[in-house]
Amino acid sequence: MAAAKIPRDLLGRLIRDVKRQDVDYADVRFERLLHESLVVEGDHVKSISVFESAGVGIRVLLHGSWGFASSPHLSLAHLKRTASQAISIAKASASINKKSRPLAPIDPVKAVHRSRWQIDPFEVPLAKKLDYLLWAVSGLVGPKSIKRATGHMDFLKRTKCFVSTEGAQIEQHFTESGAGLEVVAQRGNEVQTRSYPNSHHGALAQAGFEYVKHLDLIGGAKQIQTEVLQLLGARLPKTGATTLVLHPTQVVMQLHESCGHPIELDRVLGQELSYAGGSFLTTDRLGRFRYGSDHVNIVADATVVGGVGSFGYDDEGVPGRRVDVVRNGRFVGYLSSRESAAKLGLGASGGAMRAEHWDVPPIVRMTNVNLEPGQACLEDLLRDIKHGYLLSTNKSWSIDDQRLNFQFTTEIGWEIVKGQLGAMVKNPLYTGITPTFWQRCTDVSDRTTWQLWGVSNCAKGEPMQLMHVGHGAPYARFDGVFVAPASSSYEGD
Amino acid sequence: MIGHARLLDTLAKLVARSPADTTSISAHAKTYRVSRFAYEAIHQDLVQESVTVYVRVTARQRIGVAATDTVERASLQRCLRAALAIAHHAPPTKGLPALPPRYERITTTGHCPETINTPPKQLIDELTRAFRLCSGVGAQLAGSFAVGEDEVSVVNSAGVACYTASTFASTKLVAMYRKLSGFASGVHRRLDALNLDGLLEQALKQCLHRHEPITVPTGTYEVILEPEAVADLVTWLGYIAFGAKSFQERTSCLAGRMGEPLMDRRITILDDGNDPMGLAVPFDFEGIPKQRVLLIDRGKAAGIVYDTTYGHLYGHPSTGHGFPPDEIEGPLPSHLFMEAGAQKRDELIRSCKRGLLIPRFHYVNGLLNPREALMTGLTREGACLIKDGKLSAPISTMRFTQGLLEAFRHVLGISRARRLIADPTQELGCAVMPTLHLAKFRFTGRSED
Repeated sequence: MAAAKIPRDLLGRLIRDVKRQDVDYADVRFERLLHESLVVEGDHVKSISVFESAGVGIRVLLHGSWGFASSPHLSLAHLKRTASQAISIAKASASINKKSRPLAPIDPVKAVHRSRWQIDPFEVPLAKKLDYLLWAVSGLVGPKSIKRATGHMDFLKRTKCFVSTEGAQIEQHFTESGAGLEVVAQRGNEVQTRSYPNSHHGALAQAGFEYVKHLDLIGGAKQIQTEVLQLLGARLPKTGATTLVLHPTQVVMQLHESCGHPIELDRVLGQELSYAGGSFLTTDRLGRFRYGSDHVNIVADATVVGGVGSFGYDDEGVPGRRVDVVRNGRFVGYLSSRESAAKLGLGASGGAMRAEHWDVPPIVRMTNVNLEPGQACLEDLLRDIKHGYLLSTNKSWSIDDQRLNFQFTTEIGWEIVKGQLGAMVKNPLYTGITPTFWQRCTDVSDRTTWQLWGVSNCAKGEPMQLMHVGHGAPYARFDGVFVAPASSSYEGD
Repeated sequence: MIGHARLLDTLAKLVARSPADTTSISAHAKTYRVSRFAYEAIHQDLVQESVTVYVRVTARQRIGVAATDTVERASLQRCLRAALAIAHHAPPTKGLPALPPRYERITTTGHCPETINTPPKQLIDELTRAFRLCSGVGAQLAGSFAVGEDEVSVVNSAGVACYTASTFASTKLVAMYRKLSGFASGVHRRLDALNLDGLLEQALKQCLHRHEPITVPTGTYEVILEPEAVADLVTWLGYIAFGAKSFQERTSCLAGRMGEPLMDRRITILDDGNDPMGLAVPFDFEGIPKQRVLLIDRGKAAGIVYDTTYGHLYGHPSTGHGFPPDEIEGPLPSHLFMEAGAQKRDELIRSCKRGLLIPRFHYVNGLLNPREALMTGLTREGACLIKDGKLSAPISTMRFTQGLLEAFRHVLGISRARRLIADPTQELGCAVMPTLHLAKFRFTGRSED
């Protein structure tokens, strides 16, 4: 679909008009999105869809209160009305809010940022994309036990234009590509699922069609078809505390739930209490708390090439940064906004404010929350393990409202016996308490094993916003983790 | 508000202009005013005004879907052209179902203009009063408050032309006092029926407790699950078990067990998009009237829900549970009801010698082992130990891991009163659930800091 052009002049006139209305601060964000989604099931195309969207969100700060309103109508008259609506909302809130709302300072810039890509996915003919997906999915079907085989591709182009009363003028252009396969097999009462290369649409990157080619869906189909059939007859893991090695696909979910969310400073300050919850990483713990072992180094990095949590500037115009979160096991940093950073006296925003869409305001979101690699190869991690498990590809996830008690299951696992990978196990479950778990991290693998994935459905906020965030991770090894089969007879640790 | 005349007319004109063999257009317009607050300050206040229009065409057995977020004529025409272009390039689909037949309906019974037109000052005054009540007893308040309006319309080339408009007012309140929190939520089509004072009292009662939270051992407990906790579980069951897709893939715990007793015979679960006790939406995104579908009938597996595609594939008429055409999860129940019992909530508590009262769960996940309906999740505000029929002390956070069929096989009581549970800023559906007294519920872990 031909999309709306960036209305630069209109945005300039609008922000000047808003500035004249005695607001303390305001920003205007134009966004345009083009999303193509292809789904293949078995030998047929299940769905091809394209979604186009464009509009403007206006955020004003007046007498210590925020107001936000938005409109898809790109005319000055419409947008002036929208701005008036945002101002009147802020004025109404100001009758309750007694304190001022300082913002951490920034240098407003005029800039253009473009994510990198080689092959424009929207220029690749639809027939070529479908042929490739149908070919890949054909590698999943055949055996009678296969109940469903699906493949998907997703391509996004997002353009943002941000202007503020402080003088910022920032244009950003992002291209994302993603693809994956899923197969479900059943025999009697046994049902198993395998995904490739990651579950929950996790193979997603700021890249062009070259990323999809690089995923090797054809080879992956063969691998997961074999594995899902083997899982139907695989053994269950033994119940008890053991050594666990997590594949990067599962470290990603572990990072997301037990590190990414608890370091969101708005959440720490109570702004998510009625929905997502709070955080055990309270402000008195910053710089002091032992989050993990010395092997644990975690960063929130908005500058990683290819990460879906990367950007030149966040939705407050703050430059994308790399923020230390855990350094040698010690908790040292939050994801923050201009407001929350100022509240904590941090001096500068962590640059983590993003909105899902033009019709909602930005909130503190993960960028790319990554576990940094160590020195060991995978064989080194496995070598000293007498008995344990290697678990891969997330299946289910759950964590408490303070982000302490977690439980995960994965699609697949392998027993580790005397340093070697052994039999496949099905339905593995593991559980723990976040800092205890990370403090038992005994090693992480090196950069050659480090993988960058995306989470395409990170839910937060009211109204709920689904954000694309990134996570990079190597393999990681943990001692004394409680593992059990996910079944109705599970009695807990 | 776009209004039924303009929305139906706009969509009908687009259908009339389409050269495709069949054209179906659905639109969901929403206007939500949401205030979020914490510690006596509003930190987010917004108006979200948007519309999503889905155009689905078929041409020579090929399907094309495109969507846009405006009802402006030029954008809709561009969207139609995009759908036609996709259909032109797509491979043919074998055995396409026919479009739903002629159905015309306009309903605005769930729409209350006073609710959506509530002046911002009135909402702020309500919040100010709530803050005062809390600070008066030394507690603090966080939460959200929303009023909104939804319009859904479907028009197709076979004669479907339907429209519904509705409003809602909803709130979530977390009251905090020392180490304890209390929670209450409410939703209604009308703001004046929300009973903010009653909800605030409920949240405060949970946190103004004379005991500090205690830690109880993991293990199997008798539980009294209040409606919100029941809704957390049954909604997940709807997702993993009551849709045609999971049933046909045999991941559903109902697959191969239709007619068999799976739960206690006192449990009946159904989906009814027309029951006014819920947030009724009388038709689905394909323009098919919603049917009342018995899912669990007196403990026995009784039915699942279909849309046109899955109905056609498996020889069953659609039950009116279709989602927009880019949705790939298949048909799902969206207005779940559990039938009421005969007891009062307090009677259920009095009949419990030792157990746990759970007002709501947090972060339930039902993907662990869907065939066994194995779920995990955690307690949150207001969970309490019951001793000798009395609420004893609040408990610190516990994790459950429990097969739901097994839990629902051991029912000790069901309340007469049911409550509407919904988060209307997130989805159009709802659940209407009673309080449930279960004999065995397994808690497998505890939160520790």
